[in-house]
Amino acid sequence: MNCLQAEEHFSAHFEDTLDYQTLQGFEGHLAACEACQREYVRFQESVKAVQQLPQIEPSPYFMSTLQQRLATEERDPSSLKAIAATGWKQLLNGLRRPKWALGGIMALILAAAGTYFYQEGPLFNQDLHQVSVSSTSQKQQIVPLPEAFPSAQQSRRLVGDDSQLQRRSILSTPAQPMQQRYMLKQVSYTNASTSGGL
Amino acid sequence: MPELDDELMERYQKGDENAFTLLVRRHQQPLVNFIARFINDKDSAEDLAQETFIRIFKAANRYKSENAHFKTWMYHIASNLCKNELRNRGRRDRYRVDNVVNSGSDSDGDAEQIDLIASAPANPELQPEIALERKELRNAIQKAIAELPEQYRLPLVLRDLQGLSYDEISEVLELRSGTTKSRINRARLMLKEKLKPFI
Ligand SMILES: [Zn+2]
Repeated sequence: MNCLQAEEHFSAHFEDTLDYQTLQGFEGHLAACEACQREYVRFQESVKAVQQLPQIEPSPYFMSTLQQRLATEERDPSSLKAIAATGWKQLLNGLRRPKWALGGIMALILAAAGTYFYQEGPLFNQDLHQVSVSSTSQKQQIVPLPEAFPSAQQSRRLVGDDSQLQRRSILSTPAQPMQQRYMLKQVSYTNASTSGGL
Repeated sequence: MPELDDELMERYQKGDENAFTLLVRRHQQPLVNFIARFINDKDSAEDLAQETFIRIFKAANRYKSENAHFKTWMYHIASNLCKNELRNRGRRDRYRVDNVVNSGSDSDGDAEQIDLIASAPANPELQPEIALERKELRNAIQKAIAELPEQYRLPLVLRDLQGLSYDEISEVLELRSGTTKSRINRARLMLKEKLKPFI
């Protein structure tokens, strides 16, 4: 094993996944090569330093903003068009790779459905509550968050791989029950998002 | 924990509205971290993370756990959104390190503060030089990551910052396992060189 070959095994040795024969070759080379010993130590140090970067936290408003965006985009056909536009490339990719086609296709279908619904009036309760943060301490904020998302069944009806008939029947129903369904519950939320990553 | 995620998606597909909320709660922090580290822009990370969830929400009824795990699917969508974002804004903003790691002193420094407390041997306020050194090192690391070519940066962030397995990363990036491994090793070697003045 030469220096370049040894370098190729740095990660595998660091993660302890080398097979026995390669392990022997690698450690044999390092035992004889001071340059590789030095570089491997620095390699380990820099990987560890990267892995110890602090986690970046979302704002306490993440969930409520997301909820509002979902509601807004259901109402606003222009933002749906924007989604469809950015999703276009993904859709084309998706057509080549069926496994991932969902996002692009759904965005386009939703854009069409959304435009259609828009003409019929808002589907969601516009009166989404404003989130107010009562911050007692930095570590323990109790933040009211919206709880309910539209259900998948609802989104299925919205994006509509179903028939035109079914869409008609939804649209002919007064908006009131749907609005009730999306009344947002307030829940307490204790800074639970510190996990994840390394 | 792909099993719980898949179960939550199934529940959501059957009309359990809280299941999606729970999915967002479980993944919002790792997702924001991933995007911020990958595109080197904390301000846009939250927006793109939300965009990711919006796409997931819209495609939820077509999701099938036998095709892909939720987590890899989520990172796949997020990666594509990030790539589009970077393409759109071009190279000029690639090095906005400030947004990500220089902002720890004021309002948005939770992670920064947590890190200082966790990593300094004693009260960081009593050891300002150490705190400063660590902050400089973190800035340097983030800058070095930002300078990596995208095809190396993406798997590196997924591996070393998000803790995904090689199999998961291969699934997210649709790469063969050998390619994933060699790109991550190459990315780490490049970082080692970039960090030479610091480590
Ligand atoms: Zn050597």
